[in-house]
Amino acid sequence: MYGRATAKSQHPHSALTDFLASNNISAAQIQDDYNRRVAEAARAEADEEEQQEEQAEREADPDHEELGSEVEETPEEKTRKRKRQQAIEKLKRSKEFARRKARRTGDPGDDADADEALADQMMSEKSRPIPGQLENCEICGKRFTVTPYSKTGPEGGLLCASCSKNQKEGNKKAPPKKRNSGISRRQNQNALLDGHVRNGPRSLLEICIKKVADNIDDVEEFGDLPPPVMLKISHILSRRRAITPKILDLFLRPHHRTLDIYDCAKLDTNDYHKILATMPSLTRLNLRFVTPMKDQILEYMIDKDIKLEDLHLDSPNLVSDACWRKLFSRIGPRLRSLKLWNLDSAFDDETAQVMAQSCRSLQRLKLKYFWKLGDEALRAISAMETLEHLSLQFMQETQPESILHLVSALGPNLRSLSLENFELADDRLVQGIHNKCRNLYKFRLTHNSVITDQALAELFRGWSNPALSYIDFSSLRDVDMANPDGPEEPIGLASNGFMALMEHSGSKLKSLNVSSCRHINRDAYEEVFGPDKRYPQLKSLDISFDGHVDDFIAQSIFRCCPALKKMVVFGCFKIRDLVVPKDVAVIGTVGAKLTVDGAVQV
Amino acid sequence: MPLTFKPWPFLPNPPVMADPALKYVTLVSRDGFEFILEREQACVSGTISRMLDPKNGFVEAITGRCVFENINGVILQLVCEYFLYNHRHRNELNVEDMELPLELCLEVLMAADYLDC
Repeated sequence: MYGRATAKSQHPHSALTDFLASNNISAAQIQDDYNRRVAEAARAEADEEEQQEEQAEREADPDHEELGSEVEETPEEKTRKRKRQQAIEKLKRSKEFARRKARRTGDPGDDADADEALADQMMSEKSRPIPGQLENCEICGKRFTVTPYSKTGPEGGLLCASCSKNQKEGNKKAPPKKRNSGISRRQNQNALLDGHVRNGPRSLLEICIKKVADNIDDVEEFGDLPPPVMLKISHILSRRRAITPKILDLFLRPHHRTLDIYDCAKLDTNDYHKILATMPSLTRLNLRFVTPMKDQILEYMIDKDIKLEDLHLDSPNLVSDACWRKLFSRIGPRLRSLKLWNLDSAFDDETAQVMAQSCRSLQRLKLKYFWKLGDEALRAISAMETLEHLSLQFMQETQPESILHLVSALGPNLRSLSLENFELADDRLVQGIHNKCRNLYKFRLTHNSVITDQALAELFRGWSNPALSYIDFSSLRDVDMANPDGPEEPIGLASNGFMALMEHSGSKLKSLNVSSCRHINRDAYEEVFGPDKRYPQLKSLDISFDGHVDDFIAQSIFRCCPALKKMVVFGCFKIRDLVVPKDVAVIGTVGAKLTVDGAVQV
Repeated sequence: MPLTFKPWPFLPNPPVMADPALKYVTLVSRDGFEFILEREQACVSGTISRMLDPKNGFVEAITGRCVFENINGVILQLVCEYFLYNHRHRNELNVEDMELPLELCLEVLMAADYLDC
């Protein structure tokens, strides 16, 4: 304090001093501390030198040692001393000793005393090995570099690396690794991302299925496994990309009517032929990643007049348009469900028209990631009046009128509707859905930044459609980097639309995805998940990338949704500290503290 | 000892009325092995718990004795071991999977599918 006062009176402050003072830190104090430390260090150094001198004197004086030995000794001390004596004797016989002695021969003084002093010195050196120095191994005698991990041998000397290792193994096995009784984070996150929270052991069925999948190469045949179990095994193997022609054989059963293989990338033309030839009564064929599938496979289906009703193929890109048209005109009339994904080099509008004309009893149609389809295809699909489930995702831009026309034509019959990536669709589409659709239970409308909040709110107000079970409105939002808060009149699903949605469908809703709908504000969440609200069936909720969601909202969600199993909150950075119910998987928190059943996960 | 091969000596004989409070149940395999374990443990299996539920009116609910004509003793023993394993770890997180002999895996799988456990 004194130093500071004088400094104040003598000099104007520096900016740093001022700043430090404002934070209650005294510059003078720091200076004083520093000086004190320097002084202390200097004093300590001086002390050490003194001590060393003393020690040197003591070592030079042989009587000094004798004095110590006259003091009364306990038995332990005696044995220790005896051991030390033995060690010194041994040391005296060593090469090192002889070499050092030879170096000292010029020194004056009695030989025996000098020997004793040298031995002592070497002893003390030995007891304090310095990492980095060279040393001879006590067991094998090899020269090695001492490290902090070098072990001490049976006689007190050091051991080289290999002897240390042997010594350790010989001594005792390392204690068994203690199993972490808390939640192991990695394992947990892994399970969470798959969407399951496991309480207690897995079911016996799951254990067996996993075990079979792990040892699939040893399985000769599945016997009478029921189809649902085979489907699960197929899932696991496909996920591991382990379906080879040999393993495919396990799944081929002549009397089965369905086949689901989710990864066919390792199969070739012969294998597809084998599937069709060994399973003539197939009615449902679900093959994914079928890139190697060629025209001749579909030709074979046509020739055999296969009784397919459900055909699901992912990425059959080597099949030509001509072949698709032929397939539709021949087996199209009996198809009930057609799902195709990832067609970029074939399947154009004209093929879509043939499909629409031929598949006269089709109930389910899913066309996703199609590069060549556009307005013409939409117009063709509008004529498929039997459709009950429709899912479309085209890579081309389409006119809002075409999709509006489609919804007006098919709306009354539709039970599920999924429209992704129709970026030009506008409010008229939503109005059309409001007016025409009466039977929807599943509705997806994503990736659009034209439809307004107002229109979405009106869709749900007074809608004669019963409450929906599945809703996905992800990425319905305004995208304008310069104006992150969006326009005055909100675009996409925002507060009003969200409240109207929950008002209309909250009672039946099982799954809700409003990720990236970032204009839903906190008040709307607070209103929707208020103290008197209950959403008894909601199991899965995705509210990612809405920065308004905080701990309070998240806790309110847990309270309002007793059946909740999965909540996805990527990019909700205001979630910091949550008490998570036992069965809920919370996915996507960053650095938040999650407390599950008393155990904390960070 | 909840898991024994001996029949339970105090079973009401003849069984006259349903006693859902009966603590132990007997599981019998095709080849006559009997496993006696606590009702609560056996009810891990959906099938067994439905068999033993008096509301469904099965004989098993009265006698507390379930005979499985499609499961042999070796497999049923593994299943019973699973019941005990499940019961022991029911409130734990991240439980290690139970060890099963590989050669019996498919048969246990069929039994597990049937027993819904």
